[in-house]
Amino acid sequence: MNMLEIKGLRKRFGSIEVLKGIDLSLGKGEVLSIIGSSGGGKTTLLRCMNFLETADSGEIMVNGKSVYHACEGEKPVVTPEAQLSFGLVFQQFNLFPQYSVLENLMLAPKLRAKRKSTIGKRESMEEIRARAEELLATVGLTDKADAYPCQLSGGQQQRVAIARALMLSPEILCFDEPTSALDPELTGEVLRVIRSLKDSERTMIIVTHEMEFARHVSDKVIFIADGVIAEEGTPEEIFDHPQSEKLQAFLSHSQKE
Amino acid sequence: MEQFISITLDLLNGFGETLTIFFVTLLLALPLGLLIAFGSMSRFKPLSALTRGFVWVIRGTPLMLQLLVVYYGPGLVMGQILLTEAYAVYLTFTINYACYFSEIYRGGIESISRGQYEAGKVLGMTKGEVFFKVILLQVVKRIIPPMSNEVITLVKDTSLARVIGYYELIYFAQRYSKNAGLLWPLFYTAVYYLVFTALLTLLFRWLEKKLDYFKT
Ligand SMILES: Nc1ncnc2c1ncn2[C@@H]1O[C@H](COP(=O)(O)OP(=O)(O)OP(=O)(O)O)[C@@H](O)[C@H]1O
Ligand SMILES: [Mg+2]
Repeated sequence: MNMLEIKGLRKRFGSIEVLKGIDLSLGKGEVLSIIGSSGGGKTTLLRCMNFLETADSGEIMVNGKSVYHACEGEKPVVTPEAQLSFGLVFQQFNLFPQYSVLENLMLAPKLRAKRKSTIGKRESMEEIRARAEELLATVGLTDKADAYPCQLSGGQQQRVAIARALMLSPEILCFDEPTSALDPELTGEVLRVIRSLKDSERTMIIVTHEMEFARHVSDKVIFIADGVIAEEGTPEEIFDHPQSEKLQAFLSHSQKE
Repeated sequence: MEQFISITLDLLNGFGETLTIFFVTLLLALPLGLLIAFGSMSRFKPLSALTRGFVWVIRGTPLMLQLLVVYYGPGLVMGQILLTEAYAVYLTFTINYACYFSEIYRGGIESISRGQYEAGKVLGMTKGEVFFKVILLQVVKRIIPPMSNEVITLVKDTSLARVIGYYELIYFAQRYSKNAGLLWPLFYTAVYYLVFTALLTLLFRWLEKKLDYFKT
């Protein structure tokens, strides 16, 4: 059974249809990279999966369970469980500036443990703190636990953002161009963290312009153009044997940069 | 000298009345302003249009006129004055300042990036949690300078209350010029206002410092 299954996802903004029926599936522990030229709808796809945009139609299933099913005209409710199936790391980090690194990690889990509507096991504050410290170690920022976001470099902020997303144990962690807001010399530290997550069997979806990275970290690559998946396959198929002219043009263009 | 001390103490009583207006207004207008700000930002168009229209009227007319309307208005319509001077003053000042505050709040809230709300949402936080735990303090930090301006204006606006016969500091001082031909107590009131606004300025500066540890 696939961990993630998306069927016929569509999204329009006003008169333009940005996603024109996206189908994709992803197994547990697999890494999917999404490439494509600007304006193709990559961000919109991630945002629909994270319920920051409501898809107009289509279905999203996680572990065989439907978490979102929209037909034209009606918008389904998103349960907290559905929301937490996905995690998202933003291009601009979006850390909470008034909280220290450790507090950034602990805020959402703490609130969740206190919330009346939370079902299942409630974590204790000690458990939450222990997990936060463990995740900080994973991203190599133990010594920055008490620092504030404004005191960190972009690369460090992004690593905190990754740890913060992992605190909620999402089934699928999504990244929207996690390194494009960074100075070139800082991208390496973030990519290394993502690679280490792959080694620990995290299921991930990464929108990226770093083709070399996508080739090495992905199990699967999809190429999105004009709101549809124009081509998909293994990294070898996509990068070494592109079929469509569009993909060939895109790849030769991105190599020049 | 004896006269100076006794007048100083008498004016202090008057200043107590001034402070009452000040604190009652702040206490009520600070939260009411937030409600009005939410109203004017509502996605429900009739509500936001109505709220913005109301704010426009309140901000577009003199506070003195509003005091007169609230105090004497009911008398014109129903033939009797409904509110005591004190209640009319509290009500008018609260609504007037809540409207000014609401615009400052709105500017502050709208200046926070969408990414902060989205980060909270994807971490499973509710709308209320995002607002109170993530957004609010950032807004507070941003609105301290304009709020400190408004609050200092409020200190001086309290003197308008005397137009409907509320006995505040200026009123106390004017009694001396009317009854004893003494003009200096009126000028002397400036010292009370100055000392108090100086304290407020220090308080706001301290607050600003307190929130200096992070950048939005
Ligand atoms: N909220 C919105 N309202 C209207 N149009 C939007 C909105 N969000 C995205 N779009 C449009 O949808 C299209 C796809 O945008 P999207 O951001 O998903 O592209 P992308 O593939 O992520 O591009 P990039 O590589 O530049 O990040 C664009 O034409 C964009 O202008
Ligand atoms: Mg994008």
